[in-house]
Amino acid sequence: MSIIYDPLHDCKMVGALRAMHGISDCMVIIHGRNGCHCGALLLQTLGSEQNSVRVLTSGLKASDEVYSGEERLASAIRLADQTFRPKAVSVLNCSAPVIMGEDVEGLEMLLEGEIGAELIAMDVGGPEGPAWLGYEEALSRLVPRMQASEDEPRQGINLLGFKADDFCSRSDLSEMRRMLQDQNLSVNSILCGSSYEEMQRAPQAELNVLLGGDGLECAKAMQEEFGTPYISVPYPYGLKKSIKFIELIAGALEKEVDSQVLVREKERIKRTVENAHMFIQGIYSTPVAVVGESGRAFDLAEFLSDELGMDVKLLAISSCNFATQEKINTVDPHYQTLMIEPDRWEMNQALKAARVSLIFGSTFEKRIASKLQASLVRVSYPVLDHISLSGLPFAGFSGIAPICESIINSILNRNKEEVSA
Amino acid sequence: MDPEEQDLVSRDEAPILETMRSIYSAVPMHHLGAIHGKIAGAMIVANAIVDSLPLIHGPVGCAFQRKLNPFTLSSTFYDSPCTNLNNVDVVYGAEEKLGKAIVEAYERYSPRLIIVITTCTTDLIGDDINAVVQKAKEKVGCGVIYSTGDFVGKSRPVGIQDSLYALADQMICREDVDRNEGSVNLINSPTQRNALKCREMASLLLQMGIKINKICFDQTTTRDMMDLAAADLNITGYRMSWAELMKKKMNVEYCKITGWDRYNKKKDPEMISPYGIAGSCRVLEEIARIMGREGEADSVIKKNRAAAESRLETLSRELKGVRVAVPVGFSLNLLKDIGVDVAALIYRTQTLTHGVTDRAIQEIERANLKLAEIYGFHPQLLVNPTPEEELETFRNRQIDLVMAPAKIAHFYNKEGIRTVDVNDFSQTKLNVGFLPSIDLCIVFREAMGRVRVRSPLLDLMEFDSGINNLSPHWARVALSFHHLRSRKFKQGSYYHFQGLAGVALNEHNI
Repeated sequence: MSIIYDPLHDCKMVGALRAMHGISDCMVIIHGRNGCHCGALLLQTLGSEQNSVRVLTSGLKASDEVYSGEERLASAIRLADQTFRPKAVSVLNCSAPVIMGEDVEGLEMLLEGEIGAELIAMDVGGPEGPAWLGYEEALSRLVPRMQASEDEPRQGINLLGFKADDFCSRSDLSEMRRMLQDQNLSVNSILCGSSYEEMQRAPQAELNVLLGGDGLECAKAMQEEFGTPYISVPYPYGLKKSIKFIELIAGALEKEVDSQVLVREKERIKRTVENAHMFIQGIYSTPVAVVGESGRAFDLAEFLSDELGMDVKLLAISSCNFATQEKINTVDPHYQTLMIEPDRWEMNQALKAARVSLIFGSTFEKRIASKLQASLVRVSYPVLDHISLSGLPFAGFSGIAPICESIINSILNRNKEEVSA
Repeated sequence: MDPEEQDLVSRDEAPILETMRSIYSAVPMHHLGAIHGKIAGAMIVANAIVDSLPLIHGPVGCAFQRKLNPFTLSSTFYDSPCTNLNNVDVVYGAEEKLGKAIVEAYERYSPRLIIVITTCTTDLIGDDINAVVQKAKEKVGCGVIYSTGDFVGKSRPVGIQDSLYALADQMICREDVDRNEGSVNLINSPTQRNALKCREMASLLLQMGIKINKICFDQTTTRDMMDLAAADLNITGYRMSWAELMKKKMNVEYCKITGWDRYNKKKDPEMISPYGIAGSCRVLEEIARIMGREGEADSVIKKNRAAAESRLETLSRELKGVRVAVPVGFSLNLLKDIGVDVAALIYRTQTLTHGVTDRAIQEIERANLKLAEIYGFHPQLLVNPTPEEELETFRNRQIDLVMAPAKIAHFYNKEGIRTVDVNDFSQTKLNVGFLPSIDLCIVFREAMGRVRVRSPLLDLMEFDSGINNLSPHWARVALSFHHLRSRKFKQGSYYHFQGLAGVALNEHNI
C-alpha cells in the first residue's frame, strides 16, 4: 500500500465546518493556525453565498503553541458574540491545539452564561479523520441542543445530510421542498441548512430523511433521544430517483403518493426530452466518469447510466459515508470501475485508461479533464470556479433539464481545433 | 540582444489570464480577512519551479485545502501528495513514513526536486526532518529539500522566503560551481511568474556588456535554480533572505531594487523609487558600478533615456493638465514622466500599522510630500479620509482621474469621475527600465478616453462606509480578523481601511 496520498477529500475540520456553517446564524471559529483558517474561509467564500460567510480565526500564533491559546480563543468567542450576535458559535479545534491538549470543552463551561450565543466546541484535528466523519460528528453534536415540545404535534420531515456549500444546493433544496409540497408533505428542519432555532425544532418532525445516507449518526442519536424514525433516500437525480425520493418518504409516513402529480412531472420532462431529443440521442453511450461524494455520486452515476444511457466507465468516490459499503455491495452496479477515496494520481491514471469524454466532478478535476481533453461538468464538492445564481437545480424533476443542458453544452461549445486528435 | 531570443523569458500572456487573476481581486485575502499560512507560500515556490514536487508532511486536510492558491486564486495546485498522518503517527512519530514517502514520490512523479513541507502537526511532534531527508536523498535520483518555516524569522511571506532559503541553503550553495563571470540573475517574485517585465531591464544590461545568467521565475527548472550560483550578482525586487545567504556563502553579490535603505542614508526622496526614468537610471548605474561597467552604462542609459523621452513627449501631450488622485505608495516618478498633475495624495496608514512603526509612517508621508514638491506637484494630502471627505476634495480639486483598483471603481464612477486601475500594469509591466513610463502613459490615455460608466449595478448593494470595498458583513469579518491578529490594532484607526483609492496589498507591502 502506498504511503503518499494526494487526497480527494478534506480533513475532519472541513466536514464539521460544512455542517456548522450551514446553520445560517452560526459563527464558526477556526481555532488553529493561519493556514487552516485561510483554507476554511476560501472554501466557503468561493463555494457558497459570498455575503453570508461566517468564518473567523482565533488568531492562534506559534507562541501560543508553547503557552496555550485558550485565552486567545476566549477573546475570539467574546468578539464573535458581540460583533455578529449569532445564535451559536461553533469552535473547531484544529490539529495544533488538539495535540497541545487545549481544553475547549472547559472553555465552553467557563463562558456559559457570559455570552449570548450557544457555544458548540469540537476537536477536529487533521490526524483524527476525514471530512465526512467531521460532518457526521458535528451533526450529532447538535442533538443535545435540540428541544422537543410535547405540546405540539409532530409533523413534517427533517432533511439530514444537506450541505449548503454543495454546488446548486440551495436550488436543489427548493426543488425538493416543492416536490414534497406537491405531495402535501412538509419540511420541518434542514440539517444543516436552517437557522439555529429551526434546527432546535428538529424533534418536532415525524421522520428524519437522510440524503444519500449522510447524517446517520445524528439520525440514530435522534431516534434514541426523541424516538424519531429515519430512512435513507437517494439524492434525487433524474426521474427515477425523484419518484423514489417521494415514494420512500410518503411510504414511511404512510401516505399515498399523488400519482397525478407524477404524471404531470413526467409530461414536463417528456417535453424537455422532445426539445433536445436529437442531442440526447447523441450523447447515448458516451463514455463518462463520475467523481464525487458518496451521498450523491452513486445516484448521479445511476441517473447518467440508467436514464441518459451514458457509459459510466469510472465512479470515484471522493468521500465516504456510513452507507457507502451498502452501495458498494449493489448487485447490478451502474458503473464499470469503482474507486473508493482513491489517491488522485491513481485516479488520474484510471481516468486516462478509461478514455472518457466527460467527467462529472469538482474544480480539482479541471486539469485532468483538460489533459484528457474531456469536458468537465462541475457537480461535486468543491466547486470553486463556477457559480450558480439562476436558481436552477440539478436535483429533482426540475433538475433534469439543467443537468441535460450542462452536459450537452459542455460538448457543443468545445472548439474542435483546440482538441487535438 | 533580445532576451526572448536567448530563451530567457517566455512569450506574452493572453489577456484572459489577467482577467482570471483580477476576477478574484475583491476576495479579502492578503491580511485583509485571512493570512495564507506557510504551506501556501511553500506551495508557490514548488509550483514556480516547474519540475519540482511538493510533499506535505501532514494529514490530508493540509494537502487538500492547500490545492487552493490564496496568492493567485486562479491557479490551483493540482499535485499535493501528503504523508497522510493519523493519530498513531502523532503518538509514535512519522519519520519512517516520511522517508518512504520521499522515495515513493520520486518513483511516482519523477520530479527533479522534492520539497518536503512540514505542517503544524509534524512541527509539534518533533520529527527529525533533516535526518530523514539526508537519508532519503541517497535513495532517489533527485534533489530533496525541506522547509519548516523556521529558517527566516519574520521575513515575509514566510512560506516563500523559507522555501527559497531552504533551496539556497540545502542545494544551491555548494563548492563545485562553474562561474559565469560578469553575469547577473534577475529575480522576480515566484507569485508573479512573469519574467516578461524583466525583458527591457535584461536588454539594457546586455547592452552594457553585463551578461544575464538567469531570469526567475518563468518556466524555471531545478537546474535553473542551481545555476543561480554561477552569477556575480543577484538582483531582486525586494528583500530576499536566500539572496543574502548566497552572498554570505557563495560571495554572489546582492542588490534589491526596492527598499528604504538608500533613502535613509541621505533622506533624499528621489532615492525611494527604482522606477520611472529617474529611478531606473539610478538603479542601472548602481548595477553597472557593482559590475564594473560604469563606462559602458553611461552611453547605454543616455541613448535609451533620450529615445524614451522623445516618445513620451509625443504620447503624453494629451495628458498635460490632467489632474489625478493617487494613493501614497505609487511611484511619483512615473507620474512625472507622463506629465499628469498629481492634485491629491491619499494616504492610508491602517494596514501599515501591522508591520511599520509610527515613525516610519510619518517618514513615508514626509518623503512623499517632499518628492511631490521636487516634481512641482502641489497635492492635497488626505490621511485616512472618509468617503465624503475624499469626494469633496476631488470635486474641489477638479480631479479628472482617480487611481483605484477595479473593485472600488464604481464608487467614483457613479460620481462621474473616471478611474484607472494599474494593478495589471504593476503586475506585468512595472520594473526598472524606460518602457514602463511609456506603457503607463498609454494606460492613462486609454482611461481618459474610455466611455464613462454611469449606472454600475454594484451601486445597488450596500458597501461599508469605512471599508468601501467590502460589504458591511465582510467589513466586520475583516475588522474581527485584525482585532484578533494584531496587538497594535486600534478600532479607531480602522476607519476606511483599504478603502477608497487604497493601495492594493501584495507581498511587497505587507
